[in-house]
Amino acid sequence: MTRDERGIGTAFVRIAVWSLALLAVLPFLWLVIMSFKTADDIFAGSSRLLFKPTLENYQGLFMPDFIRSFANSAITSLVSTTLALAIGAPGAYALARAARRQSRLVGMLILISRMVPPIAFTIPYFLVYRNIGLLDTRTGLILVYLTFNLSLVVWLMRGFFEGIPEALEEAARIDGASLWRTFVVIVLPLSAPALVTTAVLCFLYSWNDFFFALILTRSQAATAPVQVVNFMNYEGWEWGKIAAGGTLIMSPVLLLSIAMRRYLVSGMTAGAVK
Amino acid sequence: MGALQPSSPTAAAMPGVTEDLALGLDGNGDFDGRRRFYLLLLVPVLAILAGVTLLPICYLVVTSLTPLSLTNPLSAWNFSHPAGNYILLATDARLHQSLWTQAKLSIATVALQMLIGLGAALLVHRETRRPDLLRTLFLVPMVLPPIVVAIIWKVLYSPDISPFWWLFHTLGLAVPAPTTSAATALTAIVVADTWEWFPFTMLIILAALKTLPEEMVEAAHVDGASRWQMFLFVTLPHIRHALLVAGLFRLIDSIKAFPLIYILTEGGPGNVTEVTNYYTFTQAFGFSYIGYSSAITVLLVLLVIALSVAIVRIVEGRATA
Repeated sequence: MTRDERGIGTAFVRIAVWSLALLAVLPFLWLVIMSFKTADDIFAGSSRLLFKPTLENYQGLFMPDFIRSFANSAITSLVSTTLALAIGAPGAYALARAARRQSRLVGMLILISRMVPPIAFTIPYFLVYRNIGLLDTRTGLILVYLTFNLSLVVWLMRGFFEGIPEALEEAARIDGASLWRTFVVIVLPLSAPALVTTAVLCFLYSWNDFFFALILTRSQAATAPVQVVNFMNYEGWEWGKIAAGGTLIMSPVLLLSIAMRRYLVSGMTAGAVK
Repeated sequence: MGALQPSSPTAAAMPGVTEDLALGLDGNGDFDGRRRFYLLLLVPVLAILAGVTLLPICYLVVTSLTPLSLTNPLSAWNFSHPAGNYILLATDARLHQSLWTQAKLSIATVALQMLIGLGAALLVHRETRRPDLLRTLFLVPMVLPPIVVAIIWKVLYSPDISPFWWLFHTLGLAVPAPTTSAATALTAIVVADTWEWFPFTMLIILAALKTLPEEMVEAAHVDGASRWQMFLFVTLPHIRHALLVAGLFRLIDSIKAFPLIYILTEGGPGNVTEVTNYYTFTQAFGFSYIGYSSAITVLLVLLVIALSVAIVRIVEGRATA
């Protein structure tokens, strides 16, 4: 192969790869740009590439329903994540240290529970919530988010705890620390990065949820993804508000994902891919 | 974050060794105490986990044996025809139609995501400029909240505001909205789903490409392998496992497809985009036929369990090989 040929090959790869990357982000950028357009500019379409940006769509979102839905999203995601870590991390530690054989069976159950279509959980939860008054409550959503968050925490943290050398814990034990103290003082601080990664993943899954919230909430506990869909039904299509709402919903997710991009795929595949 | 690996024999033997050591050197830790401690940590989490996942699934199975409908709550305890819903599964033409639609959607999206993902991974692997920025750009579609992805494609498919239709209009082409025509609606969903998830397969394949040993590539070069031979006999065998795992994950996830269909077509026009998951949703929360929809869901759960077991087999087979 001559140098010229190789040069052309590299140039071709470069153009192809960056065009593909552009294809991946352009649809997303279009929505963000749309959120800064007036209704007039939105319907004038691309013929007005130059437009005067406006914040009126965002200002239009400042109403009790939407603000409450955003608070609901934040509260349910954060509380469910915290609960899952608090309950799941000690269990994952015990699973890693004590029960390696059972750990495989538990692992299989966890993988399956993560793979099951949400509708399989929604039907029974809906029936029970209807009877005990948990429909359209944040508590109800927090509980149902545990179905995926708790298994995610146990799964990822178990893998991580198995990688911590036991010798460290033994050293603490020899110095007279109790088992619980060893876990809290030695193991947990060592696991801080893994705990943060797991927490972010739990948060993303809860924040991104649409299906559970659609069925288990009505108005009081509706989350932002459900609320933004309402702009599609009432008084025609409010495209500006839809775009602004969508942009607001995705911004925390995007920032967090980019910050932890290295661990995202291994987390999303529950460790099947590293 | 290594999970899914069976413990090695040496690792399994370790606790015993260290426990003896602890027993000899510190006075406060005995074997029973340690056992009790681990059990104390383990039991609550397993109980809660079973309570939030296993128990609801059991309830789902029980409900699938009743004719429960929300308009007739007493039917929740009617077990006079436990197989009734399952017999209905065999004769429900709309369900069979939905399974066929599901098969078409799954096969098309998985195949496209694998092909585009593989192509993109091979290209990105060769690009040396700003690799981190490049990977971040590709990350965007798959980390967006699914409802936002659905909104984005709703915009792109709406002729009055879509940049594509502005282009068509300028060129004097009359193109109907893809989501409102029975001939193109499913394709429209496939395109949106492929955009959302090809980065996922790409990143998995890219990670596998990174572990391709340099010596193997060089050896193949020295032996005079052509580019195609290199790909077929060196690269492909090396990433086979990653391809399989990525494909299976996408296959399972394709069964859950919901927000795109809910926002773009609502299963229509007619029911050409009504996949099984969506049909179940309609039966349960549109028509309130909870008993029957539970039976369909049990069917879906069995399908997903079979696919998940396949993933575990593949991953473990590779770990022990």
